[in-house]
Amino acid sequence: METYEAVLEALGDRTRRQIVHRLRAGPLSVGELAAAMPVSRPAVSQHLSVLRRSGLVAYEELGTRNVYRLDPAGLSELRSWLDGFWDVALDRYAQRVREDSGSREPRPPSEEGNVP
Amino acid sequence: MTANLTSIEPVRKTVTVPAAPPRAFELFTRHIHEWWPLATHSVGIEQAAGVTFGEGPGAQIVETLADGTTSVWGTVTGWEPPRRVAFTWHAGTPVAEATRVEVTFTEDEPGRTVVLLVHSGWEHRPGAASAREGYNSGWDQVIGRFTELAATAP
Repeated sequence: METYEAVLEALGDRTRRQIVHRLRAGPLSVGELAAAMPVSRPAVSQHLSVLRRSGLVAYEELGTRNVYRLDPAGLSELRSWLDGFWDVALDRYAQRVREDSGSREPRPPSEEGNVP
Repeated sequence: MTANLTSIEPVRKTVTVPAAPPRAFELFTRHIHEWWPLATHSVGIEQAAGVTFGEGPGAQIVETLADGTTSVWGTVTGWEPPRRVAFTWHAGTPVAEATRVEVTFTEDEPGRTVVLLVHSGWEHRPGAASAREGYNSGWDQVIGRFTELAATAP
């Protein structure tokens, strides 16, 4: 699975989105997260492991505390995906313009070299 | 890692096309149904039937699904043919979570136009997580979730 898909998958669950939302304020332990949520601590741990695999959340030891925090890496993946989203759309647009102009004028030389 | 995620840089894309700005603008807007990759970039995905780009400020970009229902992707906020078009973008997400897209058309030599697309406004999305249970998976949610994350990350 591509990383951005893992990110989307991770965010496809309401409880996980709530965890992400709560971590925006700063790192929290499993216990702290579970205390304020209507799900069990093991369930929170399970969700956290999904979030960790996606790259959205990281685990670290802060002194004697074991906490989870948001990880910018997951966001970078999503941003890359969004970049690709517009790449695909604009490629299609450029292709359409080339078709439009192809019947009336020659393609610019720089385009001809790209034909496989 | 200390990336500042509260100020997400706009996504910037350029493409050079072999047409003068008036035609490039027209193809981008009025003819969007002829090139937009609906099969992958839509709310309906396989049910997506078409998309129209409304002309003029306040007009909308609307996807039509196979069952006749529609989904508004955004509203035109700037309409200056053939140089510039700007619109809000909230495909698949509540209007309150809209980001902004601006597309400019600049002729760099006769019959050739540089199209610059800037997708911004990630940081302006309301931080409060809103109910989005009505939205199924697909790319349409992605931007909404991306903006949600951008707004909520430290």
